[in-house]
Amino acid sequence: MSSEKEGSTQLGRRELLRLAGGSTILAVGLMAVDRRFSPFSVTKAGADPLLADPDPTHYMFLGGTDGWIDLPHDPPIGFYHPDPLGVGKGMRGLNGDGGPVDLSTYVFGFRNITDLDTVQRYEQKQRAQHSAPLFWVNEVDPANVHTTEFVVDITNLGLEMRPDLFDAHTLHWHGFRNVIPFFDGEPTGSVSVPAGTVFRYIYRPRDPGSYMYHCHVEDVEHVHMGMNGIVFVRPRQNVTGAGLGGFSKFLYNDGNGLTGYQREFAFHLSEVWAEAHWADAHIQLPEWSDYHPDFSLLNGRSYPDTIAPNAPFPDGWGQSGAGTVVALVEGATIPVGNGTGAVGSESFALGTPWPRPYMPVKTDVNGDLVPPAGADHLQYQPLSSLITCNAGEQVALRFSNLGFKEGAMTIDGIKMHVVGRDATLLRGRDGTDSSYFTHTFNIGAGESFDVIIEAPAYQGPGVYDTYLLYNRALQRNDNTADSTGLGGQATEIHVYPAGTLPAQTVPNT
Amino acid sequence: MQRFTSHRRRFVIAAAVALSAVGMIGVTGVPSASATVPPAPGGVGVVCTDGPTFNLETAKDYITLPDGNTAYMYGYKIAGGHFQHPSPVLCVNQNQQVTITLKNTLSRAVSIMFPGQHDVMANGLPANPEVDGGGVVSSLTNSVAPGGTITYSFVADHPGTFLYESGTDGDVQVRMGLFGALIVRPAGHADYVYGTADSQFTTTDNSRPGGAYNDEDFLVLLSEIDPYLNQAIEKQDAGGTSNYNLDNYHPRYWLVNGRGFPDSIADNGASWLPNQPYGALAEVRPQTFSSPNVPGGVHQYGGVARYLNVGTETYPFHPHGNNGRVVGRDGQPVVGPTGQDLSYEKFAIDIGPGQTYDVLFSWHDAENYSEANPVPVVVPQVANQVFGMFYSGSPYLGVNGAQPPGNQSLNQCGEYYIISHNHALYQITSWGVNMTGPITYMRIDPAHTSPAKPGCP
Repeated sequence: MSSEKEGSTQLGRRELLRLAGGSTILAVGLMAVDRRFSPFSVTKAGADPLLADPDPTHYMFLGGTDGWIDLPHDPPIGFYHPDPLGVGKGMRGLNGDGGPVDLSTYVFGFRNITDLDTVQRYEQKQRAQHSAPLFWVNEVDPANVHTTEFVVDITNLGLEMRPDLFDAHTLHWHGFRNVIPFFDGEPTGSVSVPAGTVFRYIYRPRDPGSYMYHCHVEDVEHVHMGMNGIVFVRPRQNVTGAGLGGFSKFLYNDGNGLTGYQREFAFHLSEVWAEAHWADAHIQLPEWSDYHPDFSLLNGRSYPDTIAPNAPFPDGWGQSGAGTVVALVEGATIPVGNGTGAVGSESFALGTPWPRPYMPVKTDVNGDLVPPAGADHLQYQPLSSLITCNAGEQVALRFSNLGFKEGAMTIDGIKMHVVGRDATLLRGRDGTDSSYFTHTFNIGAGESFDVIIEAPAYQGPGVYDTYLLYNRALQRNDNTADSTGLGGQATEIHVYPAGTLPAQTVPNT
Repeated sequence: MQRFTSHRRRFVIAAAVALSAVGMIGVTGVPSASATVPPAPGGVGVVCTDGPTFNLETAKDYITLPDGNTAYMYGYKIAGGHFQHPSPVLCVNQNQQVTITLKNTLSRAVSIMFPGQHDVMANGLPANPEVDGGGVVSSLTNSVAPGGTITYSFVADHPGTFLYESGTDGDVQVRMGLFGALIVRPAGHADYVYGTADSQFTTTDNSRPGGAYNDEDFLVLLSEIDPYLNQAIEKQDAGGTSNYNLDNYHPRYWLVNGRGFPDSIADNGASWLPNQPYGALAEVRPQTFSSPNVPGGVHQYGGVARYLNVGTETYPFHPHGNNGRVVGRDGQPVVGPTGQDLSYEKFAIDIGPGQTYDVLFSWHDAENYSEANPVPVVVPQVANQVFGMFYSGSPYLGVNGAQPPGNQSLNQCGEYYIISHNHALYQITSWGVNMTGPITYMRIDPAHTSPAKPGCP
C-alpha cells in the first residue's frame, strides 16, 4: 500500500488507472480475464505450448490475496494484537458449518488454487495462507527441457480488506540463477500482475537445493505481510544416480551419496511485527525503521502450533502411517487445473504415492482450507513443522528465511551436517568438500541452508524419543507472549524405533 | 505525499545520466595530489584514488538522503579537494609501501585504523592504542589533535578489499562518515582480486576487441545513519550542547556507497550529488556475450563486487538472478591450508559489521531467449501487465517492445536491469520512504548490434 509514496509503483499505478480506468477496479472483484481467450500481443511464431494444458506434475497455480492467520492471543500487544477485525474470520470445520473462529493477524499471502474450479478460485479472496504453499520442482532434464520445465501461473485476487489498494503481485523465485527479468518478478525491471489477470512463469531449474519465493511488489510490505514461502529443487541424481551410497533421494548432484536421505522436511522462517499487520488492516502506515518482530514463525506457525498436524489431505488420499500420502481407495481422484480453472480430473490406483509437486491439501465445497485436526485456529496455517523419523535414518532439513532478522537454528543432542547453502553444494571449484558439522547455524534474511541429520538410536521408553529444533536467538523462541516455556521458531523431532514408519512420500509428513 | 514528486523527477534525471555515460571507462585513477572538485569522473564502477602516497584531511559537509532530508557528515578527503562521502577509495598495489598523511581540521581528535593491515606505523613508530591517564584505552590507534597532522604507513603485503576508518570514538566518528575502502591489487595482476587466476575479473584491458567497455569492478559499501546523532554532532560543532545518548542509537537510513536508491544508480560524480560521488550501478555484459568478429565470445570473465559493511549489524545483501562466488573475506582468499578452493556461491551474502566480502559474479540467460527463441508463454497484452519503469517492453535482451500508452520507460536500449538489495527489507526504506536505501541494479547491456542503436553501447 505504501506504493502511493514511491516513485516506481506510483508511476505504474497511475498508468494503470489511465489505461484501464474503472475496468481495473471492476476486474478486482470479477477476476474476469481469461488469459487463453484474451486478445494477446503474441510475440512468437509457431506452435503455442500454452494451447496444450500444462503437465499436472510440473504445474502450479497460485493466487495472491489477503487473509487472516492466528498467533497466540495472550498477552495482547497494545491494541495491535489480536486485531479486532479478525473476529470471526476463520470458519470452524468443513464447509464453514462449525461456526466462526477469531483469528488474530491480518496477512497478505498466496494460496494454491491449482485444483479449484473457477468459481472456487474467486472465493479465495481474503483466504490467503501463511507461509505460502510448499512446492517442489525437479531439476530440468537437459535432454527434454520443454517437457520437464515447471510452469507456475499466478493470479491476483485482490485485497478484500483494502479495496483502496490495487497493488500488483509477482512471483520472485529468490535465488533462481541466470533468469531473465521477465521471469524474475522484480517489478521495476520487469512486469507485475494486476488484479484480475493471470501471468505465467516458466522455470527450468538447473541448480538443485532449497530456495524461497515471495511477491516482490512493495517488497518490504508484501513480504512482511506474508507473501513468502519455501520451494526446493530436487536433483537429477534422483533419476540418474539411484542407489548411490544406498540412497534414492539426494539434496544435490553430489556424485557420491554425501547428501542422500530417507526423509525430508522444509522449514520456512518468517516474522510478524504486530503493529505493521494491524496497520495494513486499519489503513495505516508503519514506520519500517521501527521494525521489531513480535512473532517468529516456522512454516507460518508459532510453537507449539508448529507441531500440530498438517491440514487434512484431499478425500481419497491419506497416510497409511506417518510419512506417507497415498491413494487410500482405488480410483482416488485429483482435479487437473490450468490457467483457467479445473478442467477435469485424474484418477489413481490404490496405494499410488501423492503425484503432485505440492502439499496435498483438502478444500471444502467453497474451495476454502480445512483446519488441521484439533486446531481450528490454524485453518490458514496448514503446514506442520513436526519432524518424524526412524532411528538411524538420514533426515534432510531444508531452511529458508524471509524474516528480516538472522536466526540461530539449533538442535540439541543431534549434530547437523551442513551440506548446502543458498542452493549450492558446499564444495570448492576443485572438488574440496567444505561441508561441516555443527549444532547451530546462523541463517540471515534471504539465505537458505540444507542440513542432514542422522536420527539417533531409539532409547525409549515412550513411543518415540523427542529432540528439539529451535532458534537460539532467544527472543525468537518466546514470541514476547507467554513468559514461560518455548514458543516461536521451535519444533520437535520425534525419533521412532527403526522400521516403525513407512517410507516417506511427501515432505513434512 | 507531495514531497515525493520532486524525488521522482530527480530519479528520472538520474537514470538518464546513467544511460548517457555508457562507454566511459569504469575504473579511473584520480591522482591524489592534484585532485580538485569533484573527484569522480563519471561512469560506473570503482573510482580509485591511486597511491601509494595519500595526502588526506578531515572535512565536514552535508549529504542528501532519498526522502529529501540532509545529514551532517564527517569524512576524509583528498587534501585541498572536495568533501566526499564515503571517503576516497584508496587503491594500491601489493607490496607497495603505503603512506597516508592526515591533517585534522575537526575540533576533536581523529585517527585512521587499517583493519587487516599489520605493522602499521604512525609518525614512524609502531601504531598503538592510546590510553588515558587511568590506563583506559581512549583511541584504538594513534590519533591527531585538532589542527595537527599525522602520517600512517604500512606495507600492503596481501591483496584484497579492506576498510579504513576512524579508531577514535568510533561509535560517533565512524557513524559520522570517517570511513572508506582500501583496495590492494595483487602484484602484477590488476585484474585479479587475489593472487590466483581463479579470481580474475573483466577489465577493458583483458577483454578481447569489442568486449567490455568498462572494468567490471564494483564497490558495495554499506552504511547506516541515525539522523539524531548527526544532528547532535552538528550542534556540538556549532558550539552548542546536545543531550544525545548513544544508547538510543537507532538508524533510520541505510546507504550503499553513501547514497540511497535511486541516487545509488546514478553515475559516479553525478552533478546533483556533489558530496556523494560514488554510484553503485553494476553495468556488465552478459557472460556469453559474443561478437560476430570473435567466435567464442569476447566476455571471458565475470565482474567483482566488493562488499564492505561499516554499519553496526549484519546486512544480508541479495543480488537477484545470479549466485555470487565468495572468493575472499576480510582481505583473505577463501582457500584451505594447502590452497584448496573453499570458495562458495551465495544468493544472499551476510556481511557482518566491519567485514568485507569479495564476490565474483556474472550473468547470462540460461535459456538464450530471443525473438528467434521466444519465451514459451503467451505474453499478456500490455493492459494486463504493470510495467516497471526499467522494463523495455520485451522479454528479450536488446529489444524494445510496445509500451502502454503514455508509459515513461527509462529503458533505452533493451538492456536488462536486475536488482540487488539488502534483504532485511525494513532497511531498504528511508525514514518512511519505502523502496529506497541500499538498492542497486545490475544493468546488462545487449551485445553489439550492427549498426548500434543511437545512444546505445
